[in-house]
Amino acid sequence: MKTFRIGGVHPHDSKISRNCATEVLPLPQTVYISMAQHLGAPAVPCVAVGDKVKAGQIIAEPAPRALSAYVHSSVSGTVKSIAPRKDISGNSMTHIEIAVEGDEWAEGIDLTPELVTAIPSDRAETLRKIQMGGVVGLGGATFPAHIKLNPPAGSKAECLILNGAECEPFLTSDNRIMIERSREIVVGAAIMQMVLGGCPCRIGIEENKPEAIAAMRSAVRELAYPDIEVVVLKKKYPQGGEKQLINAVMGREVGSGQLPISAGAVVQNVATSLAVYEAVQKSKPLVTNTMTITGDCLPVERQHNYLFRIGIPLSWIAEYAGGVPEGAAKIVSGGPMMGKAISNLDACTVKGTSSLLYLSAKTTKRVDSSACIRCGRCAQACPMGLEPFLLNKLTINKMLDELEANAVQDCISCGSCQFSCPAGIPLLDNINMSKGQVLGIIRARAAAARAAAEAAKANQK
Amino acid sequence: MTNAIVWTVAILTVLGLLLAMVLYLVASKFRVEEDPRIDEVEKVMPGANCGGCGFAGCRAFAQNCVETGNLEKNFCPVGGNATMEKVAAILGIEAVAKAPSVAVVRCNGSCANRPQTNEYDGLRSCRVKAALYSGDTGCAFGCLGCGDCVAACSFGAISMDPETGLPVVDQELCTGCGSCAAACPKKVIEIRPKGPRNMRVFVSCLNRDKGPAAKKACSAACIGCGICAKTCTHGAITVENNIAYIDPAKCKLCRECEALCPTGAIHSVNFPKPLDKEAVKARVAERNRKAREAAAAAAAEAKAAAEAVPSAAAPAPAASTTEKKEE
Repeated sequence: MKTFRIGGVHPHDSKISRNCATEVLPLPQTVYISMAQHLGAPAVPCVAVGDKVKAGQIIAEPAPRALSAYVHSSVSGTVKSIAPRKDISGNSMTHIEIAVEGDEWAEGIDLTPELVTAIPSDRAETLRKIQMGGVVGLGGATFPAHIKLNPPAGSKAECLILNGAECEPFLTSDNRIMIERSREIVVGAAIMQMVLGGCPCRIGIEENKPEAIAAMRSAVRELAYPDIEVVVLKKKYPQGGEKQLINAVMGREVGSGQLPISAGAVVQNVATSLAVYEAVQKSKPLVTNTMTITGDCLPVERQHNYLFRIGIPLSWIAEYAGGVPEGAAKIVSGGPMMGKAISNLDACTVKGTSSLLYLSAKTTKRVDSSACIRCGRCAQACPMGLEPFLLNKLTINKMLDELEANAVQDCISCGSCQFSCPAGIPLLDNINMSKGQVLGIIRARAAAARAAAEAAKANQK
Repeated sequence: MTNAIVWTVAILTVLGLLLAMVLYLVASKFRVEEDPRIDEVEKVMPGANCGGCGFAGCRAFAQNCVETGNLEKNFCPVGGNATMEKVAAILGIEAVAKAPSVAVVRCNGSCANRPQTNEYDGLRSCRVKAALYSGDTGCAFGCLGCGDCVAACSFGAISMDPETGLPVVDQELCTGCGSCAAACPKKVIEIRPKGPRNMRVFVSCLNRDKGPAAKKACSAACIGCGICAKTCTHGAITVENNIAYIDPAKCKLCRECEALCPTGAIHSVNFPKPLDKEAVKARVAERNRKAREAAAAAAAEAKAAAEAVPSAAAPAPAASTTEKKEE
C-alpha cells in the first residue's frame, strides 16, 4: 500500500459520523454571503440593496487583475444589505445579506438528478464554465479551480490526482460524497482530464474508507473512462497535503518553493471534482457543499453530514442540529489538526466550510510546555523534512535569515510537530508566525526584483 | 630549581617583548583610519542600543551622524534634545530640536469595558494570537493583552496592569524610542509628543467598526459620532473609518472634546485640574446657541435685503438657474 516517504503521524481517526448519510439542510430566513470565499482578493459585489436575486445567480464578480473568483447567491430572495460582518476569526469582511423568499433557481440550471456522462470537447469553453461557476478547491485552500486546471505555458500535466484521502480525524463529508455521489465525481474527473489534455487520473483514498473505495472503484468500472484508477493509500496524516499526496501516488517530490505542476501533477479534491461536474454538466454554480457535524463530546445519534448552502450562519446550523453539546470546550471549523477554532459562531458558511467540530476540554486543552529535550520526534514527524525544534528556537531569537535558510517557508502548517512533541512546546504557533514574516520578505524581494527589471527595461528603451 | 625559574621568566619576557613588537608593527601598518569624532559622538550617546533611532545601535547612529554631517534625519529619541545638542557641538553644526515624545496606549478596552467573548489558551504572544484570530473580545482592533510591548521595552517603562489587562506606560522611564509600537501587531501604541508640561489629549480607541458594533464590543469605544470634530474650534480632530484622531500639532488642550465625548473614549493626562464636564458642556452649548442666532440673523438680513431690492433684481437668479440647467 502506498504512502508518502518522509514523516507523518498517526492520530486516532475518530470518523464517528462515517455512516451518517448526507442530509439536505433546510434554508434559514436570512443568509449572509461572504465576498472572501477563495484564496486571493475578495470578490466585488455586483448587486444593489433591494435587488431580487435567484439561487445560482452571480452576485459578486472577481476583483479585477487579481486572483479571485465569482460568488453566486445560494438562495432566492431580496438583497437586504451589503455590509461588513465578522468571519469565524472575528475579522470583518463584506457580506451580502439576502432575505430568503421561496427557492427559485436561475434559468439554465439543471436540477434533475440525471447523470450526464458525455464529456464536452471544447477545452476553453469548459474552463470558462468552471470559472463562471465559481469553482474553488474544496480541500481547504479554496484556490480558484480554473487557474489550477490551466497550467502555465511550458508545463504539462502528467497526472491528475483526485484527493479523497480525508486524512484529518473526525471529518467524513468527503467519505460520504464518495459513497453517495461516486459517479458524478468520476465524471468530474474525466472533465478535468479532458481540460488538462488527456492525462491519466489517480484517485487517492485512505484505507480507512473501504465503502468509499468500493463505491469509487465500481463507478470507475461502470463509466469506463480511459485511464482512471483508484489508489488505496495507507492511513497516515497529512496524506491529503498536496505535496504528500503527489509523493504517495506518483512517487515524485515537489521542489522547495515550487508548485505541484513542476512535478507534472495537478491535485484536486473529490468535492471539487463534484463541483466541476455540476458547473460543467448541470450549469450549477458552487453554492452548496457538504459538512460534518461531529466531535468527541457529541453523542453519535446527533452527528450528521449535511449538504448546506453557502451563507448560512453557523449558529443556526448548530441550533438546527440540536445545539452546542455540553462539555464542548472548543468549536472548530475544519479538522482537529489544521482547522481553525471558531471565535464567532455567528459567522456564516463559505464554499470551503467542511465541519462543525465540538471538542471536549480533554482533547483540546494545551498541556503546559516544558524544555525541549532534543528527542527529535518533531523532525521525524515533519512531512516536509524540516527541523521544527530548530525553527522554533530561531523564531524565538528572531533570526529571520537563518529561518529562510532552514526553509521555514516550506512548512505546510500540518501540526505534526506539535502533535508529536512530548514536551508540549507550541512549535507550530511560533513557526507559523515566522513563516508569515519570511514569506513577506520573500514576496517583497521578488516585487523589488520585478520593479528593478522593469526599470532597467524602461531605461534601455 | 632557581635556575629553571630564572630561565622561564627570561624566556617569557623576551617572547612577550618580541610579540609586543610584532603587534605594534602590525597595528601601525594596517591601521584603519576612522574619524575620531565617531568615538566622541558615541561617548555622549545613552548607550542603550535600543534601535529607536532606526540604526542597529548607538555606534551605527554615531557613524551615520558623522558621515552625513546632518542631524535633520538623525535623532536619538532616548537622549532627546540634550544629547543631540552635545552631538551637534562635536560636529560643529546646529542641532534640530524635536519635541520629546512618549508611548501612548490607544486602547481603553479593560476587562470591565470590553467583555470577553471567548478564551485563548495558545502561546502568550500578541503576534501569535493576532495571526490566529481577532482576539478574545468582540473588538478586533484593540489590545490583545499578551505583553509583547513589555518584552520589547529596553527601559522597563511598560508593565501590564493585572486589573485592566492593558499595558501601562511609565512616562518618567519612557524614552519614546518606539520599540513597543513596532512590536504591537495591532498598532495600539502610538508615539506622540509629550505636549506642553506633559499635558496631552488623545483618543484612546482604534475600533474602526460602525458605532453600534463598536459600542457592543466595548463600552469605552470611539463610535465615530463626530461630536468631537464638530466641537473642536482648532480643526485638530478628524474622523476617518469611524475613528477620531486628534492631531497633536493642532490640539490646544482645551479639553472640550473630552467633555463632550459620549463614550469617554477621549483621554487627557497630566492636567492640573480635573475636567468640569458640565461647565464645558454649558460653555459649548452657549457658543453654539450664539452661532445659531448669528446665522439666523444673517439669514434674515439677507432675506430682507433680497426683498427690499425691487423686482429688477428678480430676473438675475432666474438667469442663473437656466445657466445651471444648460451646464
